[in-house]
Amino acid sequence: MIAGHFGLAAGVKAHRPAVPLWALMLATQWLDVVFVPLFLTHVERIDVIGGEPAGYGNGIIHADYTHSLVGAVVLSLVFALPAAWRWGRRAATVLGAIVFSHWLLDLLVHRHDMPLLPGAPAGTPLFGFGLWRWPLAAGTAELALVLWGSVAYLRAAVAAARAHDPARIRRARIAAGAVLISGLLTLGLSIAGL
Amino acid sequence: MSFFVGLLLFVVVVGILDAKLPWPRPRDGERRS
Repeated sequence: MIAGHFGLAAGVKAHRPAVPLWALMLATQWLDVVFVPLFLTHVERIDVIGGEPAGYGNGIIHADYTHSLVGAVVLSLVFALPAAWRWGRRAATVLGAIVFSHWLLDLLVHRHDMPLLPGAPAGTPLFGFGLWRWPLAAGTAELALVLWGSVAYLRAAVAAARAHDPARIRRARIAAGAVLISGLLTLGLSIAGL
Repeated sequence: MSFFVGLLLFVVVVGILDAKLPWPRPRDGERRS
């Protein structure tokens, strides 16, 4: 899941408007951002089901450090601590929660490949409800998050502009349009297996 | 690719557009010690 995480972050911005959106967007993908260098160095890997090419959600993801439950908690703290210094405790709490929300949303779609402990020691449980086995359902869930986030962001951004600087209402609509278009484009690329 | 495109669009492009809006600031209302 990629676009769905961004959709959730946009929706959270509507309810926690003081937290910078770019930080929410980075936070919501933080586990995957850390996954990239570990993937490139073969510490973590993806096994494509049925061989190449990879398609939408057809992989067993061995992200045994970044996507373990304990790893996700640690990465949430790693993100939240500098945020607390920069923006204060309330914003840091929101950002830490958003980082951890990545694990919860991934739990819905992953195919029983998310470990409890970093490194997935033998004998420890793996989690994942496997919604990716039904790509239409998984894609619909992501689309719902993108649409919800875009609408919530639009309402909050226009309300903020109307209250503080009506001249920026048009900018608010443009920003919300960018959220929607970015979400749909990201989801489209993801479903296309790109 | 979708991951990197999404990151670029949401963190950079949308982030810049959002930063120009009159949102409250993170420490607004927070008691300074």
